[in-house]
Amino acid sequence: MTTTTTQHAVSATGVWKIFNEGQPNEVTALQDVNLTVDSGEFISLIGPSGCGKSTLLRVIADLTDATKGEVKVAGHTPHEAREQQLYGMAFQQAALFDWRTVRRNVELPLELQGWDKSKRKARAMELLEMVQLADFAEHRPWELSGGMQQRVAIARSLAVDPTILLMDEPFGALDEMTRERMQNELLRIRQETGKSIIFVTHSIPEAVYLSDRVVVMSPRPGRITDIVPVPLGDARDEDTREADEFFDAVTAVREALRGHVGGAGARAKVGEV
Amino acid sequence: MKNGGVSVLWALAGVGLVVLMWELVKWLGNFIPLPFNTSDMTMPHVWTMVAAMGEPEVRGSENTVLDAVISAAFRSLTLAVGGFIIGVAVGLLLAVIMQRFLFAERGLLPFVIASQTVPLIALAPLIVGIGNRIEIGPVKWTTTYSVMFIAAYLAFFPLSVGALRGLQAPTPTSLELMRSYAATPGQTTRKLRFPSSIPYMVPALKVSAAASVVGTVVAEISTGVRGGIGRLLIEYARQITSQPAKVYVAVFGAIALGLLVAALVTALDVYLTRNLPKEKNA
Repeated sequence: MTTTTTQHAVSATGVWKIFNEGQPNEVTALQDVNLTVDSGEFISLIGPSGCGKSTLLRVIADLTDATKGEVKVAGHTPHEAREQQLYGMAFQQAALFDWRTVRRNVELPLELQGWDKSKRKARAMELLEMVQLADFAEHRPWELSGGMQQRVAIARSLAVDPTILLMDEPFGALDEMTRERMQNELLRIRQETGKSIIFVTHSIPEAVYLSDRVVVMSPRPGRITDIVPVPLGDARDEDTREADEFFDAVTAVREALRGHVGGAGARAKVGEV
Repeated sequence: MKNGGVSVLWALAGVGLVVLMWELVKWLGNFIPLPFNTSDMTMPHVWTMVAAMGEPEVRGSENTVLDAVISAAFRSLTLAVGGFIIGVAVGLLLAVIMQRFLFAERGLLPFVIASQTVPLIALAPLIVGIGNRIEIGPVKWTTTYSVMFIAAYLAFFPLSVGALRGLQAPTPTSLELMRSYAATPGQTTRKLRFPSSIPYMVPALKVSAAASVVGTVVAEISTGVRGGIGRLLIEYARQITSQPAKVYVAVFGAIALGLLVAALVTALDVYLTRNLPKEKNA
């Protein structure tokens, strides 16, 4: 956030990812992906299994290399961004460590960065306060419900105060009610922190409710087929889920996923609102 | 731990049952021909064994047989614990190296497994022979070290195999999480792999502890080291014609030694798994 206020949070230019290149089981997971995410923007990646949405996120996070093309994360290579902790990551499994208390789980990234004990404790409590789990700080993760565990994981991903959050289906394993509550939490956290967020999901309403733009992807080869803007503004609440604009955007994304020509028409209609 | 009292009662009932069976078999031997000898020479009465504990160890000595067995058992305990600690340290080190470097796993694991197929009886004189020539400054190798070495040699194996499995146990997501934090391999080992390996390590520790006790007793016998329970077993077995119950007291000493080590490891288990969900440590 220092010298990088004007640049994109993430940009991908001509990115390819090919597994087992040159072998009979060669798979093109990403084909010529171009995408820019503005600072403070919320982007969802959506598409059927095998469309490369998780692979794209993993390339951005430097968990795997791109075969071709250039990726910049806050103006740095993904490797530098990872080394400098410019992003925080949350997965479908909360992946909390059973042997640590909730608070010490949130402290983990700070501990790895060499923060001293009292500072990291204060920071962890601040974050647990934010996800409304301060009362559970000294509990063990296995004593918490799935939704609570995921909130701890989000607090942990925010610990080093990264500018970007990368989220790989973080609510995928939750029931529908918990899921909607978690979406509201995430929007609130976004409002409070101003993070740029890239969010991978299978759910169309989830993508629409959360995002400024929904990136629609398609498999074999994995590629971006459409980018649907969601003109719902910043103030979103439970009423938004029942608004006409919401349903229009859901329809636009659905049609884009089907690959209908109508997708573009519906999007134009949404754009007019 | 709630049912501790009940467990003790069951354990005592078990001992009582064994005593009863022993005496029953002896008594039956008077009436029906059994495929083994039930005379007082080979199967002394339980009360004879108890009485033998209080007899002087050698004629005119103030030390009773029980005193001798207890001090021998303690002597063996220190050797077994020493061997156990060395074995655990070496086993852990090997596991960490094998986990960290794939070539090390490929290269070392066959040797680790092969090491356990060498018969101890063949190995013991070799270790004593080589060891006795070692002299580092003021420290001179004694046969006691050889016993510890053999105990460690048996103890390291179950632990290194168990720890290796445990170090490889973290889920891919946990490992990616650590990678996303730019954690060094050392940090990943300390903060993720090592704690994840505890549930695999605990049963391995139990097997290693038992192996170190067996290793100590066998090594004492095959190297001829005095003062331990292994040597005592041999000495008392030679006196079986004059005092048949005596050797059983030594056997009880060896059993007590094993139980004591098992209790120590159980205490270690409770300590190591105190923060883990209880259903996982079952």
